[in-house]
Amino acid sequence: MVLRRFDVHRATSVAEAVALRQRYGEDAAVYAGGTELLLAMKLGVARWPHLIDIKPIGPLRHVAATKDLLRIGATVTHWELERDPVVAKALPALARLEAGVANIRVRAAGTLAGNLAFAEPHADPPALLVALGARVVLESAAGSRALPVSELITGMYQTALGPDELIVAIEIPLPARDVRIAYVKFQVLERPSVGVAAVATVRDGRFVGAPSVVVGAVDEVPRAVPTAELAGADVRDPRTAEALAQAARAAVDPSDDLAGSADYKRHVVGVFAQRALGSLMAGAA
Amino acid sequence: MGRREIKVRLNGTDRRLEVEDQVLLIELVRSLGLVGTKLSCDTEVCGACTVLLDGRPVSSCTTLAIEADGRTVETIEGLADGTRLHPLQQAFIDRFAFQCGYCTPGMIMAAKALLDERPDPDAAAVRHWMEGNLCRCTGYQTIVEAVLDAADPARRLP
Amino acid sequence: MTERHRVAGTSAPRVDGIAKVTGAARYAIDLSVPGMAHVIVVRSTRAHARIKRIERDAAAASPGVLRVITGDDLLAAGLTPYYGHVVADHPVVAIGKVRYHGEPVVLVVAESRREAAEAADLVEIEYEELPSVTDASEALAPGAPILHEERGARVGDEGMDGGEAGLAGNVCSFAQVEWGDVDEAFKRAPVVVEGEYRFPMLYGYAMEPYNALAFFDQGDLVVYSSAQHVYMVRRDLARMFGLTLARVRVIAPYVGGGYGTKSYTKVEGMAAMAAYFTGRPVKLDCSVEEAMLTTRSDSAFIRARSAFTRDGMLLARDFEIVMNSGAYTDNSPLVNQKAANRCFGPYKIPALRVRSTSTFTNTVPASSLRGFGAPQGNIAGELQMDEAALRLGIDAVELRLRNILGPGEELLPGKRGLDADLKEDLRSLASSLGWPGAGPGSVGLGVSASDAGAYPTSTAAVRIHSDGSVTLFTGSTELGQGSRTVLSQVAAEELGLTLENVAIVGGDTGVVTYERTTGASRTTTVTGRAVQEACKDARRRVRELAAQVFGVPVASVEDTVAGVRVNGQELGYGAVIERWFGVGGEVLGHGAVRKADGFARMPPFWEIGCSGVRLTVDRETGVVEIEKLATVGDVGFAINPALVHGQDAGASMMGLGAALHEELIYEGEQLVNSNVVDYRVPRFSDLPKDVDLILAERRDGAGPYGAKGSGEGASNTIGGAVASAIGRAIGVFPHQLPATPERVWRLMRSAEAATKHRG
Repeated sequence: MVLRRFDVHRATSVAEAVALRQRYGEDAAVYAGGTELLLAMKLGVARWPHLIDIKPIGPLRHVAATKDLLRIGATVTHWELERDPVVAKALPALARLEAGVANIRVRAAGTLAGNLAFAEPHADPPALLVALGARVVLESAAGSRALPVSELITGMYQTALGPDELIVAIEIPLPARDVRIAYVKFQVLERPSVGVAAVATVRDGRFVGAPSVVVGAVDEVPRAVPTAELAGADVRDPRTAEALAQAARAAVDPSDDLAGSADYKRHVVGVFAQRALGSLMAGAA
Repeated sequence: MGRREIKVRLNGTDRRLEVEDQVLLIELVRSLGLVGTKLSCDTEVCGACTVLLDGRPVSSCTTLAIEADGRTVETIEGLADGTRLHPLQQAFIDRFAFQCGYCTPGMIMAAKALLDERPDPDAAAVRHWMEGNLCRCTGYQTIVEAVLDAADPARRLP
Repeated sequence: MTERHRVAGTSAPRVDGIAKVTGAARYAIDLSVPGMAHVIVVRSTRAHARIKRIERDAAAASPGVLRVITGDDLLAAGLTPYYGHVVADHPVVAIGKVRYHGEPVVLVVAESRREAAEAADLVEIEYEELPSVTDASEALAPGAPILHEERGARVGDEGMDGGEAGLAGNVCSFAQVEWGDVDEAFKRAPVVVEGEYRFPMLYGYAMEPYNALAFFDQGDLVVYSSAQHVYMVRRDLARMFGLTLARVRVIAPYVGGGYGTKSYTKVEGMAAMAAYFTGRPVKLDCSVEEAMLTTRSDSAFIRARSAFTRDGMLLARDFEIVMNSGAYTDNSPLVNQKAANRCFGPYKIPALRVRSTSTFTNTVPASSLRGFGAPQGNIAGELQMDEAALRLGIDAVELRLRNILGPGEELLPGKRGLDADLKEDLRSLASSLGWPGAGPGSVGLGVSASDAGAYPTSTAAVRIHSDGSVTLFTGSTELGQGSRTVLSQVAAEELGLTLENVAIVGGDTGVVTYERTTGASRTTTVTGRAVQEACKDARRRVRELAAQVFGVPVASVEDTVAGVRVNGQELGYGAVIERWFGVGGEVLGHGAVRKADGFARMPPFWEIGCSGVRLTVDRETGVVEIEKLATVGDVGFAINPALVHGQDAGASMMGLGAALHEELIYEGEQLVNSNVVDYRVPRFSDLPKDVDLILAERRDGAGPYGAKGSGEGASNTIGGAVASAIGRAIGVFPHQLPATPERVWRLMRSAEAATKHRG
């Protein structure tokens, strides 16, 4: 496939990128790795005569952690997140998830922020980020704001980004040391069809508070599972697992597609909710 | 619109090239006569188009040529040193790790990136790293053997 | 009876190795010539429609465009725009009507691909829609929309074995195999197993998509393409343009995967037409998506019954097969016949009836794919053996052993006897898999014998140079199967040379000698024999030259390893040649094989399938994991063992793809997964934990040194083996492939429900 003609504008600052977005409006897309963007253009499902390359913007390349927060710049790739010593120390569960995104070549070029901005429903990162309460930092001519990832992704390939807004960073509040994190996924074709993220504090075999469980990849957006009833529950009790599975199945609304029927996917959601629980107990943070 | 000049270190040689923004890296590479890099699925799935960009494997079918500006690009043609094959190339021959050969340049480049980063992978690590490279001929086992051989010469068959 | 060989029988490194690992190997898709133009194909957006109007002015006026070509242009030019090696019903581009979604309709030729693509967007086609049918059973029902109101011309080249009588409606071809009194046998049989089975439409996914470069060179047509059968394509193109065979040259450099998908003419006609109308060399490169709209394989629906005595002896088998063959005849009659010949298995069967119907539907045309009807039949034939074993309370391997034909026994009346010891093969397989199964997982296995080898017409030539080195000419193409290596090994063996002293030129109809086809696992066996004959002929010539040089009777000249002995003196080939010519010179040997002598009885050989798996099923998701894969390559003699292993490993992995993941899916008129994102082929993660590739070499083949062919056998039996192993694991046998996780999950639920119901 050949690409129809377009111009790439290299932004050297966030301000410049914002200005370019204002100037070109819907004729421009923000571009970093391009792993989803360029493919969409090749397939003819989208067309942008202008691409705004944000890779030259220095501050967007950084990963930094404080005691409470992991901040990931918008042009950091999956490959880098898998390997970054800061991430390994602060949030190894994220590094593990990143190691399994797509394939090695997509990981080498694709960015985490780009993944969120494109809002491909069959993706891994959003479920874990939502479960961790992550937010994106956005910049526009009007200034800066932060938006929870759960509010950023509004539908299939749809986000709440304003016309001149771009993601500059992803901020993930770092969980306390005794918080357990798990991400498990199910895949039959090229992209994941079910992903379950679970974040929970467990003490003496019981949940402290309610676990944060999010189902991704199966629905149009990541779905938070209502788990209030599981606060304090015995993690190893089969009834807890079954209740979680039931809640997870009820939280999603899958549709029939090539990866399976809605029934089957709903069933798999329940199975993987239970497996996420198992993984939570087997592993550390 | 118009052509941009980029400076690329292509297989060890500095090149000055003119490309339009929308030209894909695979188009550029093949237009220079380096047709070892192959086009197949054209959707980032199969890996036949794998080249190394600053040492990292990328889908040249879905990478803009301008991304090579100021960077190194390695294709299969750059691997052998004259007639001296790279250990991976020799291992692929010794282990019969190819048949039609169409996926082979991409396989070898992906494997090179693995061994450059991790000189001593185990079979599981090889399979995980190479998961995104498809082969329709061999059934994969001999490819894994070849990559492990290249990593550890002591493994090689007599 | 063990001969000793120097080169044959060794895992010699592939002669194309360095080319392929350095990226130097050239495939047709890599070629370009000065002044080359590019063609983009505009494809039908309807499954069945009359073409009312093609609006091409805007496209023709678009920058860089040389010509916009439609089917009417082909007719107006007085060309023969229909091709096909059984029935010439396939238009190069649609004429008058379109018969499947994705069918080529218009060719846009421009200076660059980009310009052609931009112009192609401007072509407008107006259709008058017709009712369409994608399901084969519906296509056979009364009142179904008819694809071919008029049948294309029969081409004399390939057999329509089942005959043409009664080819009405959407019946593309009909095949029948019958003997004994089947109805009587079923009436009296104590045990009858019955069932319906489904095998999917598959896409071969050779990673190099179809492509061709065509130009006219002073009236001669030259085409470089990804073709497996360069001589068959030559013949089609000659007919198309009214040229003699001598005026058409077809060349296949290295081919990036074939598996049968590149058998016969594919896109060469379009490229040649584009060259004809523009007077320029023209390149046509299909994307993988376009390739998926060019050729697929037949899906099958099979009703089968098998009758047994209580001791598990087969009394009768009865198969009704309906194949969904797509919009054009292509190779479907042969695949259909082979499905009929191969479904009932290599067993003693007192009464048999097979009726197989290949059906036109408004879908991508079906053609050859590895196995060629055998995998389709196998899912019914072999699975019923496992189902019967369960019913009878007899071990499934033992049941097969009781019925398997012995060496020399007849599978099909009048055909070559079985040239394999299949019982021994099955025992080796069962042993490797730990049958009936200790350890995790359940085992499934199966056997098959395919009448492979196609038609044994093959020639080869050998040029001995004045330094004693040799160039081998073969019309075989190198698809990855290793034909260039194996044939070189045969030549080296026959002429007493090392492999380094043998060069090979292949797949070029203008240069090498005639080869009917490269496929049907035939090259080692059939072409290998032609190479042997060519080498014999070359040695004879050298003896004649030596006799003349020394003035002795030719009978007194003896062969040595790599030359002759004459008057007590030993001379290499080169020395004889130089003496005869005075300076320089060469000797040419030519060999031919045909349906005579060793190949008088068909098939040239029986290709054995003997493979199986041990697998586990995730009870919660239905995901199947292959713990162990085992195959027996019963090849008579492995001229290159590593290459045979390569075929068995590759074929069985492809078989696993069909067994577990692969399926082309039509929703309404359109193929919804015509891309590799949505059509899942096997990956590294599908590698079984343990793979055992066993060789059986009993020197029982008609090929060189007792060799038989390889390449399809291992995949033929994998589908049935996986289905039977799953059945043993979950208590109900899947009757449909692929056994995707969801399908297995549903089967488990139905088994559970049945148990609850009974309980």
